[in-house]
Amino acid sequence: MDKLIDDELLVAQFKSGSQKAFDDLMKRYEQKIFGYLLRSVRNYEDAEELTLEVFFKAYRALNKWEPKAKFSTWLYTIASNLAIDYHRSKSRQPIYMYEDEEVIETRLVANDISSNPEKNIEDKERGHLIRKAVDELSSKQKAVFMLSRYEGLQIKEVAETLGMAEGTVKIHLHRAIKKLQTLLRPLWENNEI
Amino acid sequence: MPKCYRSEAHVIDYVYGELDPNMLPDFENHLTTCNQCTRKVFAYKHVLNLVDEAEEEFIPQPIAPYDLETKLYKRLAEVPPEKSSFYTQLLNNFDKVLLVFKEQKIASICTFAFAVIAIAFFVGNPFRPTPTYDVTPNTAADERIEQYRQQGIQRSLEDILRNKHLRYSDGWDTVSQLNRVKDQAKGTDWANVANKQLKRVQQTSDL
Repeated sequence: MDKLIDDELLVAQFKSGSQKAFDDLMKRYEQKIFGYLLRSVRNYEDAEELTLEVFFKAYRALNKWEPKAKFSTWLYTIASNLAIDYHRSKSRQPIYMYEDEEVIETRLVANDISSNPEKNIEDKERGHLIRKAVDELSSKQKAVFMLSRYEGLQIKEVAETLGMAEGTVKIHLHRAIKKLQTLLRPLWENNEI
Repeated sequence: MPKCYRSEAHVIDYVYGELDPNMLPDFENHLTTCNQCTRKVFAYKHVLNLVDEAEEEFIPQPIAPYDLETKLYKRLAEVPPEKSSFYTQLLNNFDKVLLVFKEQKIASICTFAFAVIAIAFFVGNPFRPTPTYDVTPNTAADERIEQYRQQGIQRSLEDILRNKHLRYSDGWDTVSQLNRVKDQAKGTDWANVANKQLKRVQQTSDL
């Protein structure tokens, strides 16, 4: 609740001409929005570009924005719309940025001194397969799943963010989880994961 | 093993922590006896755990894009601010006017009354009412038709006399034409004129 008030206060300060208020809002949400977009598009550069676009749009529209919902919900709405547009514009499957993942993997391995290289490769492969299954979800299913699972939004907030009824959000969520189970079952049954 | 008819949606909701709290004790009680639902719960939990692990592996700790603030302000400087369209401006101003009316009622009533008087003065012209005519449109039309008919008879008579004079038409032709005009002009003064001309022709040509 405090955070909601804080956001609203910062928005009010921005409306009265304070640039610093927007900087504070951006610092507060840049990691979350970037993380959400990175999971959605699986490409570091595109996620960075989309995050910039989210804050660019927010900056331009903030003077007209009225706090009917949380500020964060509004930001996620902009981000979700951009992610959906991104997937629409890309007719091809999402391309994995192996370089990015390698950087992350290397960091993980470096942190773990007692790591087993073979196990790391297996884990890496398994991670790719699971994330590929997540990317098989439709853009709306994925948005619902990501927002509710990794951004900590409740079903009601997801509904507000995506402009859907709560029932529709639940349907998308059920379908997403069932689809994931169907896609991952063969690997599980073959003991590959 | 008998088939369980519990909705799969309940299982997913339970695993996801979204099951209605009123239904939770009943469902948990059901799980102690139903192997099918228990297996489904286990399967879904396992899938979600796997996905969670994979996603955590993808982004192990929160990261932010490099120097977003500078990039944003650079972009804002490059792109000119959006100009609102004519209609948006109109709408915004209309909203402001409405707000003034809501706040100051006496001023709004005075303005409204002034607007009504101005419209009546410039458009309606209430001090100079338009004159009304007694002649009904139907009567005027009948008179006009009769006038045209008599003009037609006059033209026919003139044509007959001109033809007789210029072409030296024979007596029979002129007499028959004058008789036809005399019939047409029955009830008007032109009938007398036609009759007079008829007699004159008959006298001169000895018909």
